[in-house]
Amino acid sequence: MNFIFTEEQIQFKDTIKSFLAEECTPASIRDGWEKNKSFNFERWKNLIELGVLNSNLPEAKGGLGMDQVTLALMVEEMGYAGLPEPVAEQIFLVNDIISFLPKNITEAVESNYNDGTQYIAFAHPLAPNPLFLNDAAGLILLNNSECNFIAKDDMDFESISSNDPSRELFQIISMNKVISASENFDELNTAVSARGALMTAALLIGLAQKMIDLSSVYVLDRTQFGKPIGSFQAVKHMLADVAVKIEFAKPAVYRAAYSLSENNPKSALHCAHAKFMCAQAAELACKNSIQAHGAMGYTWEMDLHIYMRKAWSMMACWGNEDRQQDIIFKTLSSASEELGVLYTF
Amino acid sequence: MHSLKKEMQILKMKINFTNEQNAFRDEVRTWLKSNVPETPLLSLDTKEGFEQHRQWEKTLNQGNWSMVTWPKEYGGRGLDLIEWLIFEEEYYRADAPTRVNQNGVFLLGPTLMEFGTHEQKSKFLNAMATGDHIWAQGWSEPGAGSDMAAIRTTAVLEGDHYKINGQKTWSSRAAYADWTFGLFRTDLDSERHRGLSFILVPLDLPGITVRPIPQLDGEPGFAEIYFDDVKVPVENLLGGDGEGWKIAMATAGFERGLMLRSPARFQQTAAKLLELYLANQDHCSPMIQAKVVEAWAQSESYALSIYHTASKMLAGGSIGSESSLGKIFWSELDHMMHQTALKILGASAELSQESQNDAAKWIKGFMFSYAGPIYAGTNEIQKNIIAERLLGLPR
Repeated sequence: MNFIFTEEQIQFKDTIKSFLAEECTPASIRDGWEKNKSFNFERWKNLIELGVLNSNLPEAKGGLGMDQVTLALMVEEMGYAGLPEPVAEQIFLVNDIISFLPKNITEAVESNYNDGTQYIAFAHPLAPNPLFLNDAAGLILLNNSECNFIAKDDMDFESISSNDPSRELFQIISMNKVISASENFDELNTAVSARGALMTAALLIGLAQKMIDLSSVYVLDRTQFGKPIGSFQAVKHMLADVAVKIEFAKPAVYRAAYSLSENNPKSALHCAHAKFMCAQAAELACKNSIQAHGAMGYTWEMDLHIYMRKAWSMMACWGNEDRQQDIIFKTLSSASEELGVLYTF
Repeated sequence: MHSLKKEMQILKMKINFTNEQNAFRDEVRTWLKSNVPETPLLSLDTKEGFEQHRQWEKTLNQGNWSMVTWPKEYGGRGLDLIEWLIFEEEYYRADAPTRVNQNGVFLLGPTLMEFGTHEQKSKFLNAMATGDHIWAQGWSEPGAGSDMAAIRTTAVLEGDHYKINGQKTWSSRAAYADWTFGLFRTDLDSERHRGLSFILVPLDLPGITVRPIPQLDGEPGFAEIYFDDVKVPVENLLGGDGEGWKIAMATAGFERGLMLRSPARFQQTAAKLLELYLANQDHCSPMIQAKVVEAWAQSESYALSIYHTASKMLAGGSIGSESSLGKIFWSELDHMMHQTALKILGASAELSQESQNDAAKWIKGFMFSYAGPIYAGTNEIQKNIIAERLLGLPR
């Protein structure tokens, strides 16, 4: 038992944190909004150069073979920065499921993927509108029974607006040439749903941390009754409640990531647990952060909503809190002999 | 990033138990199986029940299970925190009796380990392990609750002893305990946190009056302690004269941190709650299911967090204000779980006699769960600590 990060894992996390602090500022995100172009190719290329984008590809394919725990730590930082580019999606939903994909789909993905320099979008009943399809080389599409790949030129699609302007979503109108496969579909679908839950959980924990950090700074700065509002207990307690939620959501994320890396048969349950905890934390972070900002929190001008909007989207897609609750309940009630203190690990 | 990669492969997170840890678990389980009393003991808040629980402490000690983390010379096994957590998991799984000496083994014990002299450790830890000294807490006073620095009970140094005058209250276990530990003002001119000392006091000294306070459940779990010219030998001072606040803060840290409430307790409640729900599902509102899942999810998270913290501590880290986060989390969780259980029980949720109805256990736990957000520093005080020390907000 050693539930602790290695120095190297912390270094990966810190490397990406400082890169994003420089390269993914609120101003740069707003710039994307204004230009209707949130996918910043300059930043994307830099992330490729940094090794982030293919970090979990096998070494034979130019990657670092990185495990899911390290990925989750890095994705947490992407949430913290509100990174618009679909790096977390590429890492968890494409790179990390390649070994589960049917052979013909893998070949199609790899011929379009081009050594990890291009982007493959993903659609699934839990996140049906592919992100940045316009900028993708192709689309992996899972419906309820089969896995498909469609190259960008082989489909027609149109833009559909997200409440988070950083998320350029699309819906497919028609597909001309589809590569399909249904073998091992259930296994693939379980792997994808678990990674979707874990990815959004890691993003949410970063987003919640960002919101609480912004709020802590704001309440120090804002003065009323001759004092910083952060000195009032009503405000302190609101933010402390969020800190508690975040603290106990984090280890669920790390354990879920670890379970995936160990091919633990309970990883689907663990990923559902992570998303359940993180969605609750993020929900309270949104509510109490905007409250701590007062009317300023309700303005377009204040940066808080950059992160709040992304959090709302991440709570909704890849299975919201209620869906995770169903998954957890089904698992617990079908295996009642494996309950209690002995089955945490 | 490429250059970092090679080393990463060598040192990996490992979230499962070693063979040695599993063997230890088996040993604990086997021992508990043949030693945990078949009929539950009487409430430790009754005179008779208290003595039964003292006897259980002695039994534990005979098996060398009083406190597995203590060094062997003080009655422990010299094991680490992970093994302690395993011990606790088995303990709750076996439904073993409540530790009547919790104040001693989990709070004073670690404090003595850090601040005690060799003589103090050897005297008090061994007596604690054998159950000869059952400890009460002596922090609060009528005018010093959440504001503990307002303590006014005095201990004046007169030659080889302190003379204590004043009053303590809400002293857990004091109704029947043998000793109390707490803070006393040794510098009469001092104010607030300064001039306080940490003193260990036998409760059978002349001048001490213990007046039990019936609790919400009707039993005397805590008490008032009156001190009237009580003479305590100077060797009962823990740490230096005037260093009491620092030592008390460390004790409070142990209390709020992982020692007082190991996760097994809540995981066991969550599992029982799920069992209760599954047995009563047909006549429950579907809304209850959400709470049952939340109970599992939160107790699971609490366990993960404690293993994470224990691993960090074993790697040389320490637990600070973070313990406030945990105290809020488990106390709210415990209350939520018991409240949910009573909802599942419907109209039987008022049947309070254990011999008559299974609901009674939940009712007892439910009432006790109201104490959690109050004792060991109210949750409001914990939130102030979190805001000020972790989030950087002004006092």
